[in-house]
Amino acid sequence: MSLLDLKLIRDLRALKSQAAAVAIVMACGLAMMIMTRSLIVSLETTRDAYYRDNHFAQIFSRLKRAPNSVSAQLAAIPGVATVQTGIALSVTLDLPGVIEPATGLIQSLPEQGELTLNRLHLRAGRILVGRESTGEILVGEAFAQANQLKPGDEIAAVLYGRRQNFRIAGIVLSPEFIFEAPPGAALPNNKTYGVFWMPYKELARASNLDGAFNQLSLQLVPGASEPAVIAAVDHILRPYGGRGAYGRTSHPSHTRLRDEINILNGLSIGFPLVFLSVAAFMTNAVMGRQITLQREQIAILKAFGFSNGEIGRHYLKFSIVIVAGGTALGVLGGVFLGERLVDMYHVFFRFPALNFQLASTVVVLAVLVSSIAAIIGVAGSVRAAVRLPPAEAMRPEPPSSYRPALVERLGFGRLFTVTFRMALRNIERRPVRASLTVGALALATGILIVPNAFRDGIGYVLDYQWDLIQRQTVMVSLIEPSPARTLADFKALPGVILAEPVRGAAVELRAGNQFRRLSITGLPAQAELFRVIDSSGRQISLPPEGIVISRKLADVLGVKIGEILFVRGLEGKRVEFSVPVAGLSEDFAGTAAYMEIGALNRHLGEGDRINAAYLTVGAGQWNEFLHAMKASPRAGSVVVKNKIRQGFRETTAQSIGLLQQIYLTFAAVVAFGIVYNSARISLSERQRELATLRVIGFTRGEVATVLVGELMMLTLIALPCGLLIGSGFARVILMTVNTEFVRLPLILTAQNYAFAVLVVAVASAISALLACRRLDQLDLVGVLKARD
Amino acid sequence: MAHAAFTSAESDLAPVFQARALAKTYGEGDAMVRALAGLDLECRAGELVVVLGASGSGKSTLLNLLGGLDTPTSGSLFYRGWDLGGADEAGLTRYRREAVGFVFQFYNLIPSLTARENVALITEIAADPMTPEEALHMVGLGARMDHFPAQLSGGEQQRVAIARAIAKRPAVLMCDEPTGALDVNTGKAVLEAIERINRELGTLTLIITHNSVMAEMADRVLTLSDGHITGEKHNLTRAAASTLAW
Ligand SMILES: Nc1ncnc2c1ncn2[C@@H]1O[C@H](COP(=O)(O)OP(=O)(O)OP(=O)(O)O)[C@@H](O)[C@H]1O
Ligand SMILES: [Mg+2]
Repeated sequence: MSLLDLKLIRDLRALKSQAAAVAIVMACGLAMMIMTRSLIVSLETTRDAYYRDNHFAQIFSRLKRAPNSVSAQLAAIPGVATVQTGIALSVTLDLPGVIEPATGLIQSLPEQGELTLNRLHLRAGRILVGRESTGEILVGEAFAQANQLKPGDEIAAVLYGRRQNFRIAGIVLSPEFIFEAPPGAALPNNKTYGVFWMPYKELARASNLDGAFNQLSLQLVPGASEPAVIAAVDHILRPYGGRGAYGRTSHPSHTRLRDEINILNGLSIGFPLVFLSVAAFMTNAVMGRQITLQREQIAILKAFGFSNGEIGRHYLKFSIVIVAGGTALGVLGGVFLGERLVDMYHVFFRFPALNFQLASTVVVLAVLVSSIAAIIGVAGSVRAAVRLPPAEAMRPEPPSSYRPALVERLGFGRLFTVTFRMALRNIERRPVRASLTVGALALATGILIVPNAFRDGIGYVLDYQWDLIQRQTVMVSLIEPSPARTLADFKALPGVILAEPVRGAAVELRAGNQFRRLSITGLPAQAELFRVIDSSGRQISLPPEGIVISRKLADVLGVKIGEILFVRGLEGKRVEFSVPVAGLSEDFAGTAAYMEIGALNRHLGEGDRINAAYLTVGAGQWNEFLHAMKASPRAGSVVVKNKIRQGFRETTAQSIGLLQQIYLTFAAVVAFGIVYNSARISLSERQRELATLRVIGFTRGEVATVLVGELMMLTLIALPCGLLIGSGFARVILMTVNTEFVRLPLILTAQNYAFAVLVVAVASAISALLACRRLDQLDLVGVLKARD
Repeated sequence: MAHAAFTSAESDLAPVFQARALAKTYGEGDAMVRALAGLDLECRAGELVVVLGASGSGKSTLLNLLGGLDTPTSGSLFYRGWDLGGADEAGLTRYRREAVGFVFQFYNLIPSLTARENVALITEIAADPMTPEEALHMVGLGARMDHFPAQLSGGEQQRVAIARAIAKRPAVLMCDEPTGALDVNTGKAVLEAIERINRELGTLTLIITHNSVMAEMADRVLTLSDGHITGEKHNLTRAAASTLAW
């Protein structure tokens, strides 16, 4: 080993805690980068393989009813490779030991062989094959797990108004339900929503669809035009009540997964960049100080004939050691966190196997990025070291020159104590360093805002949706549109206090060449249980003529209040009519359109009909109500509001909690690292000054105040900046989830801010204390012996 | 340890410092160095004492013990009857804060503070200080009060250091080679300032030097070698600092 390397090792030993602080901050950035990039790789490769192996379809459609022979017509569309038709029904389930009903989607299995598209992956038990009904059913894994169902268990389902018992034959996964939740849901609720499969015959018989189908999936030949096929499918299905075909980009499970990957993508670039910049700044500060301290050593090395290259390499090796440490730690941390997050993703996304895949290219990239960060960090200092002419370096550094700080020059100097002025002038003398320190601390504060903003946003949406808009206890949907008098039957159920009718109709809304397919909800003008709310939180009274649509939908369609929308019915009589936009509603999940129920029924031309009802049920008669409800023949599904709400809370709490832990750790590490390093550097730079203060009678506490006073000031400046930055982060990240499917409002609470401030303040205080402990080791006598 | 003990000068005749068999050793075993090998010493208020001796003879060690920067290994050391030798960290800090002024070879000013502020640093924490302006006038720097150390010459910086040391009207003034880094004329100006303080404020003053010429301005000259006092000389008349030549 060369003597320079020996010096390197000894110097590093002396710098170990500072080098460690830099390496840890760097490791945070790398861990975040490796974690997110590896998650993206894991999710994408797993998804693609799953789609390919299980033949996930490319085009989907629902319809009212078409004879099986139509299937051949569909297969003949140019560009179509495979057609699969079947039946899909919504179902209400009666689970043993669970009073509240669950709802779900039940789909048919082919009469011969297995599914050709959207093939199932068997988890437990066996797949059902063959034509005969055996009273058996397949259950999606998420629902099965949430409700602790195993093969062999029995569940009761209300199918088309008829209650039947089924034995669970197998637990399965489907590429159509990677995200096993009702369409449009942002978070799953596996206890109350599930997916099921059973043989065609049995389902067809139950739904009077024998020899017919009401849903289809298509796969295209490579190179086929998706829009052309969608148009052709819609054309063919028109007479059969087609509800409009759509591709994967509108498929609920697919889009939810894609949105998640998009968010990860943003995180994988933004935050690591921030951390690595902070690490670069810290490396620069540490090395800059080291080289100043070693001026004379550098001069002597040069005088002895060491070349600039050798000296430059020597100092670069410092950063190589730091990068090596940081990378090792970062990879370990990234893998550890990634594995935990994969477990969390398992709650949301169901794959046959989602394993954490360490993206090796990412590790290489990470090493590269952090090396660049470190090299940028040391380059300036090393260049200064190399440039130093030996003779000059032999002389001590000239005394640093100072001047009164700006506030003093403005005439406020008299207000401050002398030690406060010292701090002010020190800050002003190194404005770049001071602002970078402020920047790093502000970032630490800022990243803490994000997870809490998410939590508060979700909380707000839940409260908004379920306290402000929906005030019912349950929503009962009917199998088919029924006469308005059906509402009276619901009113008569035990415990029902209030019942309000709902009429839903699948339509296409068009304005210019923009169109969307969705369901218009018809409600009483001043409904009590489902209130349409505007952006200022007031209820919109539905007008006798005109339509109220989501603000987001108005954006998408490009219409304003007063403008006309063209409506084309997609079911029943397929009426066409136009209505003026009468108001804009504020909502957060999906998009909606509302009309006064009478007006809607008039336009649809099928008489006074309802297809769902909102009910409030007295708590005292809840059980009686549920029993009556489960037995009711007309009810297609029953959704209990509080059940859903509670499910949401649990899953959100879990995922936000984990994110919060990660961000909290990272923020604390940055705050800690920055404050510790700054304190150590100013301790080193100002040893002599501080020792002098001790000699002339300042107590340890007073000297500590001088040492950290500067940092406290910087922290005080950083905190409000951090809150601003954090609010900005939250805004940007929430914007990426501002889609037609899910929107989150930016909710920034005082608690959120207080928490961020507290974490950073505590981390800073602890590290300042640690650094101040070194004051005890100040050599009062030694420091006075020589010039520095 | 009453607060008054550090500042009152009620018994001018009693010794300010009283040391018996004062010893200080550094290190242990083979590496042990006896910096002070058991010396007896008394100093009285108002005295100006010059300490001479070869390099390594223990001058700085003695000054550090008297100034409360360090504690003796054995022997006793009293300051106006208070056990300075046995004081703890907090006691030493209070002692330095209230009773001692230091002047060092390398000035040790705070670079981020002006001359006035360097002095104010002390006047802010002292019990009965003079104003920074007064202190700076005493060392002849009334005109340069708002300059930063980097804008002052070595001699001027040293005089600021003296002003800082005496602004709290200390009972003792400790000067370790105060002219070591200065040329003759600048050195003289610094010594004049010290002499004036000693005369006008009656401050017990100890000056360490290698320069035997400075012995002439002292009331008493101590010579140290190998940690012992090997010579003690009383001057009947003190030469004025301005008349010294080296
Ligand atoms: N911290 C220490 N550790 C070990 N030995 C020390 C230490 N400080 C001083 N010494 C030793 O104690 C002895 C006296 O040192 P001191 O500094 O008092 O000498 P001095 O008379 O002031 O010398 P100079 O004129 O060179 O300043 C010397 O031999 C020195 O090496
Ligand atoms: Mg000495």
